[in-house]
Amino acid sequence: MADYEDFVRAHLPRLLRYATMLTGEREQAADLVQDVLVKVYRRWSRVSDAEHPDRYVLRMVTNDYLSWRSSRSARLVAVGDPPEAARPDDFASEHAAREDMWQRLARLPRRQRAVVVLRYYEQLADADIADLLGCAQATVRAHARKALTTLRNGLRLDRMAQAKES
Amino acid sequence: MDIENLIKDTFAAHERDAPDSDQVLAATRQRLDGRRAVVSRPLAAGAGVVLLALAAVAVVALNRPAPENQVATGAGPVAVEAPAKPAVAELTMPFSLGWLPPGKADHLARRINIGGSAANPGTPVYGGEYLMTVTSGRQVLLVDVQEMRMVPVDEAAFKSGPGRPVTLAGRAGVESAHSGGPGGYEVYLTHPEGGSLYVNVAAQPGSTATEQQLIDFGRRVAENVTFPGTTKITPAFGLGKLPDGLRMCTFDVEKDGARTSYSIGTCATMPPIQARLGDPGQVHGTAGRPVQGHETRYQEENGYRTLWILKAVHDAPVAVAGSVAQTELYAIADHLVLK
Repeated sequence: MADYEDFVRAHLPRLLRYATMLTGEREQAADLVQDVLVKVYRRWSRVSDAEHPDRYVLRMVTNDYLSWRSSRSARLVAVGDPPEAARPDDFASEHAAREDMWQRLARLPRRQRAVVVLRYYEQLADADIADLLGCAQATVRAHARKALTTLRNGLRLDRMAQAKES
Repeated sequence: MDIENLIKDTFAAHERDAPDSDQVLAATRQRLDGRRAVVSRPLAAGAGVVLLALAAVAVVALNRPAPENQVATGAGPVAVEAPAKPAVAELTMPFSLGWLPPGKADHLARRINIGGSAANPGTPVYGGEYLMTVTSGRQVLLVDVQEMRMVPVDEAAFKSGPGRPVTLAGRAGVESAHSGGPGGYEVYLTHPEGGSLYVNVAAQPGSTATEQQLIDFGRRVAENVTFPGTTKITPAFGLGKLPDGLRMCTFDVEKDGARTSYSIGTCATMPPIQARLGDPGQVHGTAGRPVQGHETRYQEENGYRTLWILKAVHDAPVAVAGSVAQTELYAIADHLVLK
């Protein structure tokens, strides 16, 4: 299984970063990827025979994430309230905006989040995302549209609330 | 900032949150070793243990007799004239298949080492697995039959949905089916030696099968599994005599031996040494001592050493590799049975 070792060494950093974007949490990302690597080890012959083993394993991570979070919901770290929203004159506004977005992303339904991560982090085309998730491209676009709408509306509502308070 | 750019920036900023690769790799290794070490019951005199003593016989494993779609069991090996050089020993699977869905079957047969039992940690326990692709017209089915000695039926986990009790060929189990989702049909049946036997039949992505087809095929495959195994697998090369203290822990052999690999070690933990058929394009390193008249190449990277034996199986090289001393690699290579 030297091939397995080589493969894991080559692809583990990327898989961990991807799992971190999916789960939003370091420990959960490590757990998720470990689960998948154990499965990959046991099914290495099938994985290595795939046309794109890296894509195959990416799909395994994604599928496990989609089923994993629901079955381990008790282990999920509760996401707190978003940090105070950034103000244009705040020198740390970009950082605050990113942290705010990070927490908003964590509250998306998992399939929407997976689509967002695949599209904006992995930079995959919708056709590739559809192939990876086993759904139609239209479904991918629908998930992405819903996610972006949720994020935009959330930001707008918060800004309106802050405007009223001030 | 545009929300899409904000999302990209957010992800980029959180890349630093990713866990450390080395720690995750180490933890994964521990889990793999742990799975090997925790087995509910010992496999007494498992069929796999006798692999090294197999006589050279010529039976093509899993060749399906056309009329009845039966899998060859290897029950009637045909003796062949003794060759001048040691013959490659055939490998016996821990269990045999008695039926497969109609069609052309390509397979990979594996023996998996799952470590020692809790009662006898020094005695290796083995399981077997057949991974098959069965093609019939436009329908392509993926069939996986695997001993899961560490997973009792009541701990079964399904990809295809909640399980329901089932009894097949007198064995209690749980099954689940979802033709359109991940998993297809899955069943865990009580294994006679402890743990479970897992059967999974699914349509390959892009192919289709009805749920009832998958259920019928999966149940019939499960009903016709027999223990212990008599199916013979023909590898591309053999291990021969191994240095004292080392054993064959796992093997992976594709149909016709097109792909052959072994793991070698004490089998109590993750096997440290691999011997595998390679591709000429993979060969790197500097010239080493010849092995059995074959040129070699040797390379070392961060303590991981690979000895390539050139043209070991026709034009294909064989690699013997692991984080062990160079002399140990040569000791194994010198006794490989090459074609």
